[in-house]
Amino acid sequence: MTLRDQAAIVGIGQLPFSKNIGRPEEVTACEAAVLALADAGLRPEDVDGMCKWSIQPAPENRIARNLGIPNLGFFGEVGYGGGGGCGVVAHAAAAIAAGMARCVLIYRSRNRGSGGRPWAGTSREGQPAAQETNEAQLFAPYGFVRPVDQVALFTRRFLHERGYTTRHLGWIAVSTRKHAVNNPMAMMRTPITLDDHASSRLISDPLRLLDNCLETDGAAALVVVHKDLARDCRQKPAWIRAASQGTGPHNVTMNNFFHEPLLESPGAHAARALWRMADAAPADVDVAQLYDAFTPLVLASLEEYGFCAPGEAGDFVADGGLEVGGRLPNNTSGGSLSEAYVHGVNLIVEGVRQIRGASCNQVPDAKLCLVTSGNMVPTSALLLRGD
Amino acid sequence: MDDAFIRRTGGEDWIPYWEAARARELRFQRCGACRAWRFPPQPMCPHCRSLERTWERATGRGRLLSWVVVHPPVLPAWQARVPYAVVLVGCDEGVRTVGGLVGAGADDLRMDMPMAVDFAPSPDGDLVPHWRPA
Repeated sequence: MTLRDQAAIVGIGQLPFSKNIGRPEEVTACEAAVLALADAGLRPEDVDGMCKWSIQPAPENRIARNLGIPNLGFFGEVGYGGGGGCGVVAHAAAAIAAGMARCVLIYRSRNRGSGGRPWAGTSREGQPAAQETNEAQLFAPYGFVRPVDQVALFTRRFLHERGYTTRHLGWIAVSTRKHAVNNPMAMMRTPITLDDHASSRLISDPLRLLDNCLETDGAAALVVVHKDLARDCRQKPAWIRAASQGTGPHNVTMNNFFHEPLLESPGAHAARALWRMADAAPADVDVAQLYDAFTPLVLASLEEYGFCAPGEAGDFVADGGLEVGGRLPNNTSGGSLSEAYVHGVNLIVEGVRQIRGASCNQVPDAKLCLVTSGNMVPTSALLLRGD
Repeated sequence: MDDAFIRRTGGEDWIPYWEAARARELRFQRCGACRAWRFPPQPMCPHCRSLERTWERATGRGRLLSWVVVHPPVLPAWQARVPYAVVLVGCDEGVRTVGGLVGAGADDLRMDMPMAVDFAPSPDGDLVPHWRPA
């Protein structure tokens, strides 16, 4: 038995994104949870499990006592920040398939816009959390601590070996922004051009400002239920067709430069497991939400999840391949680059909206949506299916 | 070496790496049983699972695999140095390491060019391994 089609996401709740939400993560997690349960047509009393990112500041029992949830028969968490998102859903679905829970609440609230930067030691998430999401201290004597530096070091080699250019990265920024323009929830809604990307300031050469995701205060929640409950809920179920995780060999969190082959990310491993469980292929996918904390991660995911051969992702993204109407509409809410950066929970929310037919950039008749998580760290992926 | 410096450089496993550098030596961890080189340092050999380990002197030669040039915003200790380069080097021993660049500007770098280790101070004042075109 696998978890294939055993559970569905039936509730989503998301607060407006901002640079300063003005209240702590415990409060916004509860607000998002209430929204998600109402969306599903369920009550807090129906929840019997919770799953979260390990660095989530508000623990399960605090959320449960705020919401008046009488008991949790399952609770678990997944580490590695942005790599964990789809994994949190995977664990919820696995617990449901294994009979440990029937209705699992997932939440992610993070004040990263107002709360400081982990690599600068100014995050309220604290030092253990910062180290779990990024082994940045290893090369601190060289001033090499920011996620953008670590991704840039991967990127220069990746572009060189594959024959890609920074203009290909520009296409990803431009396509994603185009989707955000239509999304009233998105933080960045002014259209950008390839020239805007190419003239934005360097942050870590070869990466520029417009290759980077946003800094956001945000909160979202998801409700995952057993298949027998899913059809009674208010919304059309987004079935969890498959879910997977992967580390690859010898992973060093964010400083993932010490394994073979150098350019293969944990995403390649999560991808193989995902397609195997799904009994599906990349060609079946109608729409994707590929983790985009930085533009090159999308280019790498296109290869690793099998949408194109190594070296062909550049042509794939050029001329709007990632836009609605293109070969693989991607990050249709504006993604981490232009909607909000909340460790990818908004990508999962948007994946559910696509399956419901409720996106602001709806792909007509979307039946299968791929969602991925951060691929420079131990990662995860999710395949959502509509009826 | 004070506690704060050790903590932010990976902890106890790394102490011999930084101590060797202060003596202008590049040393990597090596398995005491199967003799495989490894980096970053860790307690167990992933090939033979031995906990015996030594720190041995490397040739200090390698090949440039990638580099970045860091621009603001950076931590206060680095503000006077921006923009600065950081390189990824594949060493003769078969391990890779990350370090600073000396003796050249980023414009002089070419992919896969030979590199040699050198030593320069971090903002703490301690010598740490850097790399220059060979």
